[in-house]
Amino acid sequence: MLRKRIIFTLIYSDNYFNQSRNFRLQRVGDSNWLKENYKFNKIAHSIDELIILDATRGVKSINNFASSLKKIVSNIFIPICAGGGICKIEDARLLFQNGADKIIINTLLYKSPEIVAELVKIYGSQSIVASIDYRLNDLIPEVYITNGTEKIDIKLADYIEYVQNLQVGEIYLNSIDQDGTGFGYDYNTITMISSILKVPLIIAGGAGNEKHLLEGILIEDVSAVATANLFNFMGNGLPVARNMLNLNNINLANWQDY
Amino acid sequence: MKIGIVDYGMGNICSISSTLNFIGINDICITNDFDELMSVDKIILPGVGSFANAMKNIKNKKIDIYLDEIVLKSNKPILGICLGMQLLSKSSDEDGLNEGLGYIDAVVSRFQNSEIKIPHVGFNQVDVCENSKLFQNIIKKPDFYFTHSYRMISEKNINQSYCCYGESFIASFEFNNVYGTQFHPELSQINGIQLLTNFLNIF
Repeated sequence: MLRKRIIFTLIYSDNYFNQSRNFRLQRVGDSNWLKENYKFNKIAHSIDELIILDATRGVKSINNFASSLKKIVSNIFIPICAGGGICKIEDARLLFQNGADKIIINTLLYKSPEIVAELVKIYGSQSIVASIDYRLNDLIPEVYITNGTEKIDIKLADYIEYVQNLQVGEIYLNSIDQDGTGFGYDYNTITMISSILKVPLIIAGGAGNEKHLLEGILIEDVSAVATANLFNFMGNGLPVARNMLNLNNINLANWQDY
Repeated sequence: MKIGIVDYGMGNICSISSTLNFIGINDICITNDFDELMSVDKIILPGVGSFANAMKNIKNKKIDIYLDEIVLKSNKPILGICLGMQLLSKSSDEDGLNEGLGYIDAVVSRFQNSEIKIPHVGFNQVDVCENSKLFQNIIKKPDFYFTHSYRMISEKNINQSYCCYGESFIASFEFNNVYGTQFHPELSQINGIQLLTNFLNIF
């Protein structure tokens, strides 16, 4: 049976890893800090995938990001999805060459659909994850691009249809309101949009503990739950969370340690 | 042992070679050169992207002619991974009907069940065939990471193992010196490491 997934998201910015709260970044530590607090080669069996996002504000250096990516992913044998600031085919190629198995794109979906089509043609739908950020205004979800700074005038449901028509392989739906709060996922919006989904859905924004991961993963149309909460899952937080989901008979993959 | 990874411009070669490094293989050549491919002990055919594009690249670089010689005449073991596995079949209907390398009597087409979400992404369990060598020392019904929209089927016995997603399809096969996995062993944690180790040690 196809398993559900637990995904950990790392928010990278200018050589640092960050805790994001409503898309405001707080520096937590550099790659040494990450190594000490998240021994991915040891705890990789408690996550199914790793997403690494370059959320650097202003000018991003894809070369710096690619070299950080390469360092993080050595000796972990799980799918790696990387992105943040991909503007052209060469950017995607660089990330693939430095350890990405998939790429994640956001602003590009809206601004350069022709490049998205080209990426799909070269790398296939299954390699492209569409990241969609939204926040609620009077309970209506509104879509934002450019690190959550620029509102676009398309309804969330219509935007989901639009990105699905671009032939992306998965959708990473992130609530800016819930981001980093630890209050749990935005279950209302997730449930509302689930009927129009044709591709697997990854939900993000709000998970502060394993109970939230459990609540999210129990939603039928949710394929994967993601958390970017660096503080709440430090040390053995991720193994503890997976164990708790296993105790609740969630349909997760099993591996032995290595 | 020297391992060749066929480079035709498509594939997550970085993940595959770092997994091989972890297993202890440091002599890896990533190439599309005939003499180099002839000099290796075993070959991995990776692949991410579309079948049509991949075959076009392979033919442009004459890799199909090289592989016929290496796989069919010299009988070197080859492992196709994901799209690389599909390329070993007779044909695929992704972006129109395209011929594959044809080493395996199998065809590739899109998932038929309209109820399921495409692509098939995530870890799924494999029903391992009896007599499998690829899956030696791996737990029963092991989980492997899949990500694909097209799947392989065959009516022949090619020592195939199956996976189920809305329908049953070929997760792997072991036929003479030609092996393939629809899933990505290099992204499948300990199960994948063991499977690649088996490919390197047994065949």
